[in-house]
Amino acid sequence: MKTGVYNYMKRAGKLRRRDMLKGLTATGAVTAFSGVATGAGVRPAWAASHDRLRAEILKIPGVGMGSPTDADWQKVGEMCLGPIKEVVSEGEFAGVELTFMGLNNQNLHNFLFRGFLKPWEAYTGARINWIDLAQADYNARLQQSIATGTVDFDIIEMGAPFEGDVLGRGMASVMPDWVRNVIDMDDYVSYLQAPVGTWDGRTYRVSIDGDCHTFAYRTDYFGEGSVTGRDVPATWQEINQISRELKGKADPLTGLDAHGYLDPLKGWGGFGFYFLENRAAAYAKHPNDPAWLFDPDTMKPRVNNPAWVQAIEDVFELIEADAYPADQINADPGTTAFQQFLAGTGSMLMWWGDVGSNARTSDTSVVGDVVGFGINPASDRVYNASTGEWENTMNEAPNMAYIGWGVYVMATVDGDAQRQKAAWSAAAHLGGKDLSLWASAYPSGFQPYRNSHFNYDEWEEAGYDRAFIEDYLGSNADSYNHPNAAIEPRIPGIFQYYSVAEDELAKGFAGQYGSAQETADAIAATWENITDQIGRQQQIALYKASLGM
Amino acid sequence: MSQGDLLHVVTGDDIGERRRFIGKVLIWGSFALMAMAFAWCAIAQTGYLAVELSSWRLALYAYLLWATCLCIAQVVLHGEQGKRTLFVLPATLFVVAMVIFPLIFALTLAFSNWNLSAFEGPRFNGLDNVRQMWTDPFYWNALKNMVYYTLAILVEYSIAFGLALIQATQIRARRFFRVAFLMPLMLSPVAVSWMVGKSMLEIRFGPISQLARWLGWDRPSFFGDPEIARLTIMIMDAWTFIPFMMIMLLAGLQAIPREVQEAARVDGASGWRGFWEVTFPLMLPVSLTAILIRIIFKLKLADIIINVTSGGPGGATDSVTSFIFREYRDRSNVGYGTLLAIVYLALIVIAITAFMKAVDRWMNPKY
Repeated sequence: MKTGVYNYMKRAGKLRRRDMLKGLTATGAVTAFSGVATGAGVRPAWAASHDRLRAEILKIPGVGMGSPTDADWQKVGEMCLGPIKEVVSEGEFAGVELTFMGLNNQNLHNFLFRGFLKPWEAYTGARINWIDLAQADYNARLQQSIATGTVDFDIIEMGAPFEGDVLGRGMASVMPDWVRNVIDMDDYVSYLQAPVGTWDGRTYRVSIDGDCHTFAYRTDYFGEGSVTGRDVPATWQEINQISRELKGKADPLTGLDAHGYLDPLKGWGGFGFYFLENRAAAYAKHPNDPAWLFDPDTMKPRVNNPAWVQAIEDVFELIEADAYPADQINADPGTTAFQQFLAGTGSMLMWWGDVGSNARTSDTSVVGDVVGFGINPASDRVYNASTGEWENTMNEAPNMAYIGWGVYVMATVDGDAQRQKAAWSAAAHLGGKDLSLWASAYPSGFQPYRNSHFNYDEWEEAGYDRAFIEDYLGSNADSYNHPNAAIEPRIPGIFQYYSVAEDELAKGFAGQYGSAQETADAIAATWENITDQIGRQQQIALYKASLGM
Repeated sequence: MSQGDLLHVVTGDDIGERRRFIGKVLIWGSFALMAMAFAWCAIAQTGYLAVELSSWRLALYAYLLWATCLCIAQVVLHGEQGKRTLFVLPATLFVVAMVIFPLIFALTLAFSNWNLSAFEGPRFNGLDNVRQMWTDPFYWNALKNMVYYTLAILVEYSIAFGLALIQATQIRARRFFRVAFLMPLMLSPVAVSWMVGKSMLEIRFGPISQLARWLGWDRPSFFGDPEIARLTIMIMDAWTFIPFMMIMLLAGLQAIPREVQEAARVDGASGWRGFWEVTFPLMLPVSLTAILIRIIFKLKLADIIINVTSGGPGGATDSVTSFIFREYRDRSNVGYGTLLAIVYLALIVIAITAFMKAVDRWMNPKY
């Protein structure tokens, strides 16, 4: 679970006290029976019934009992080691040393992995060396390692957008069949199933996270008697109309100017492009076509087709209507979410799963009790790129922005069967079904990504408020399993395309291009240059592979 | 050895033919080895040798060997004179290794098509990067912005001079003000970006925005309009670095003998004429040094822009460095980014040299 979500629940009372105490009692019982307190002498609970194991790990340390510590991570790692013990014998990897490269964001990620893998190290005899990176350094470090051929790590925590750079070059190890069974890949939500994590039909990724943009809105702006007098908008057309109508009205909470949808208009190292994608997905992602950014046969950008131009035009329209807050042109996504929406400016936003939950953890937030969630709004028409015609049909297309983190094993281990098995068993342990439930429920930096994570009974039993969990998780689950989810193209240099698009959009938003079409054409021209620079034929092949075509 | 050298040389070396031969063999033999090592690495990199080149380490070792042999050969060939050369030669060779080689590498990259995401790696592309730069509106826009930013130094200088004059007089709490005025210089530009750009200028809650609203500006916006955004960036940068110019000018003012001003007053000079015809000319050397250093700082302007506006709106605040940063970091476009950096370096060297020449002619006219 994202730390912000967990903190929000604590502050907002979404963790029930009675259940919290039940959890504490249960933890005591587990500790007493299994000898967890002594650390080494734990009797693995996996031998007990599977359901009971899941209930027991959710009691460590007990929801609302403070942030988990390294000792807790080790306990969970130990208790979830069962599936690994079925395929790896004790001491089998004695003398094997592996290097793991991952993030150190918020003292999570690699810090958790260390704890989870400690019992694995003790059992298998292998040893892990760690490379901890800040998020900002990650891309440069990875690209430089790839470009200079200095891959000094055996296992990597990596986002799916980089799969093109790594898997496309054959730098990763193909997942052995036994791993697939250990981690129960069939349990993944729809969009994390193949082709995500696969390349040319082979599987490489152990998912440990899920990401998508969901719609967050102010509940006090909608309904009878509200400032809009309307229901929550279901389409982007309605969103623009409401945003225009709100001009000149007052925010019901702050009394300042009311605003509708907040488009981040400033770049964010490429990440800002996701927010135009949210609008464009509804227009451009046709249910019969997996591609929506490029033509898969030519890599000709679709960013200047009528669907994308409509998305850009929508933003232009709100700029011209002066519907945004002042200085919006200098608002990047972070500003939009945390300094505007949470502070009571604006009523609608697209963001990852944690913005609503941060409502009460941020000191400047005033919207904690008036946040609702939904999936990416629809469009009342969708563009069919194959026919070149608009189709007047309602189209939903949740944007799976960034897709989430996974664990990958590098091909550096493939020459040594023992190292290869060791690396894959470590990855499988981190992506295990039960361990992932714990990571979903406690601060870990990761969101739920398995169908089994949406079993609300388990969350309720662990001490969470059912209504909130259903609200919070429901929008994610609906997006993940949507049949027309817009999946990110996992091709090399995808963030280069996004970054250069941000620059051109900034010029368009500042009025330096004559129209949305001109802006889109400028983006398309730069994308063509990037494709040529990286290699068009290669990009075509990798784009098709990433779409499973 | 010449007769004059006897003053400095203790021993008179007798260098024989055999010794001379060994010295030359050391130099040219190791040089040949180094040339072969470089050639091997260069050819291996092209792939013609069917050998995988993991690094240019072999060339490095060959260079170290040649450098060592060159140093030894100095003694072999020139005796004690050679030993004197050894005081300088290793340092020279080190500088060559640390400056010349990277420069050659950078020039090679500048004329290459190297996107880190491209599977082929760097490929020589002639003048393509130059042509791309020539038609790149973002680069020229950034250069134009740099002209504006640099011209703003004249205003900064005027303010700094004024503050220095005030500080140089016998005002109350002079020491306090000196420290207070220096505070912005102690702050990291990144901190200034967040404290001022993102917090104090925040349009709803920022104190400066609230003040602007109180003064009658209904919807204050410091980064929404291109001109205002550029001006705001200039002000934030000036706020950080005016103290630097001020402290240099203050030191200059304090170095001017008081008698000069007193003499001017005795001769009937007014306050303004005393400043304009006595103090200001005397301060010119310090002023020009301060402006020169400030220009160098200004040409590196990037951190505030990257943090506050990312070059926007629409490139209005972009600096060359912030644009190159995006080209390099976000787009992994190493070849083109390197060319932009080298062209910018060349422009800076030319501009600074021209500035210094002009100043020299102005300060030391040849009649």
